[in-house]
Amino acid sequence: MALPLPPGLTPTEVAFLCEMEMVTVIPRQKLESLNLLGGPTQPLRPPHRTPLPLWLALLLKRQRRANILPPPWLLPSSLERILKQETDVKPQTFSPPPPHPYLIRSSPSHTDTISPPFLPSSTANAPSDYLPYHWLELGEILLEACSDDLQEPGRVRTLLRDLREVRMAKMRGSTKDLEGGGVSSLMGVGAMEVSEGRGFIVGVMDGLRKLGSSREAARREKEDDEGIGGAGEDDEEEDEEMGFE
Amino acid sequence: MSSSYYDIDAILTDAQKVPTTFELDIPALGYLDNAAGHTLKSGTRLDLPLWLSEMLAVSSTASSTTPSKSLVTLDLPPSLAPRVMNALKADPKSVDLRALAQHFYGLGERILELFEEDEVCNVLMASWRKRAAEISDHASQVGQGGRGGMASGDGVEFLRGLDEWERDLFRRCHDSGKAMRVWMGEVKKN
Repeated sequence: MALPLPPGLTPTEVAFLCEMEMVTVIPRQKLESLNLLGGPTQPLRPPHRTPLPLWLALLLKRQRRANILPPPWLLPSSLERILKQETDVKPQTFSPPPPHPYLIRSSPSHTDTISPPFLPSSTANAPSDYLPYHWLELGEILLEACSDDLQEPGRVRTLLRDLREVRMAKMRGSTKDLEGGGVSSLMGVGAMEVSEGRGFIVGVMDGLRKLGSSREAARREKEDDEGIGGAGEDDEEEDEEMGFE
Repeated sequence: MSSSYYDIDAILTDAQKVPTTFELDIPALGYLDNAAGHTLKSGTRLDLPLWLSEMLAVSSTASSTTPSKSLVTLDLPPSLAPRVMNALKADPKSVDLRALAQHFYGLGERILELFEEDEVCNVLMASWRKRAAEISDHASQVGQGGRGGMASGDGVEFLRGLDEWERDLFRRCHDSGKAMRVWMGEVKKN
């Protein structure tokens, strides 16, 4: 406990990372292209829609130079469908993350490993009905900064809270019923949820690992003992191979 | 929950008493049994700290004439007795682990290193899992809506019975939930 901060990212840090997500804005004023570290932004020409990083969009929104177009998944209808998926259709698993926008081919390419926030998962042409990696924090930030740009902000707020509760309950429950000591798949879980659930899940896993450590050690020993008869020759061969290298 | 040389929890775990039976007469060790200056008779049963009895149990008499024999034999501590195991099997949430041992799971972990008790291992893991879920529920309830105190009456009873590992887990859950609420509050301020 030497470090003052727990391992992993704090919610504030996650929200900071989330501000790199691209969102779509509708500018009200002209703005020339800016040379940012992540590359130049597109010049703003009202009323053409333009993708901008969230932090810049929030700045312009605060100065009333632009409006933010909410991503399609943040519409009440889409959130309702996701909530239905979470509670009724598949109450055991988390709703899936959005599909990878670049085609995954058999030959590996550099686009395979691109992950949020470098994927345009929250622009106006992002797929609806999928919660992207930064859904919770993006939703909260947009609700606060530009609730006037959202459709039915009150409903969106309620739906986001419901979704969060349903998914947190799933996350907490995920450690309860598994035999081996692992958690069930966390596919589709967002960054903020990981940050919130980390303390608990890591704690439970740590405890289970410690309690089971002696048994595990005994099992390993047994395996080693059983393996001695046949493994002896293999070891020698391996040693020889190592020697030739 | 890290165990290191300076970890106070690890030290306190090792300081918990374990029933130990001496197999040999040991001169001048009678003060352990409130008889200073006398010989400690073989067959005496004493509660000794885990760190001491562990060392005594693994060391043996190094003599060339007699077959080697360990100094002491260990028994399962009362907090891990079959009675407790049965209670944990029946309902993990109703057992007051703190009354049994402050470092219940820590003690269990250390004992499992010494004994091969598959049953105890199973029960401990199962109850840790069950109680962890309960702990996280309580941790998320506390402080929600600014109430501060416990909402439900039976929660107090349960939380009082947490051992140190569980308290640590409770603290972690509560802290992560709190950090989340603090962030959400900050968003609203800006």
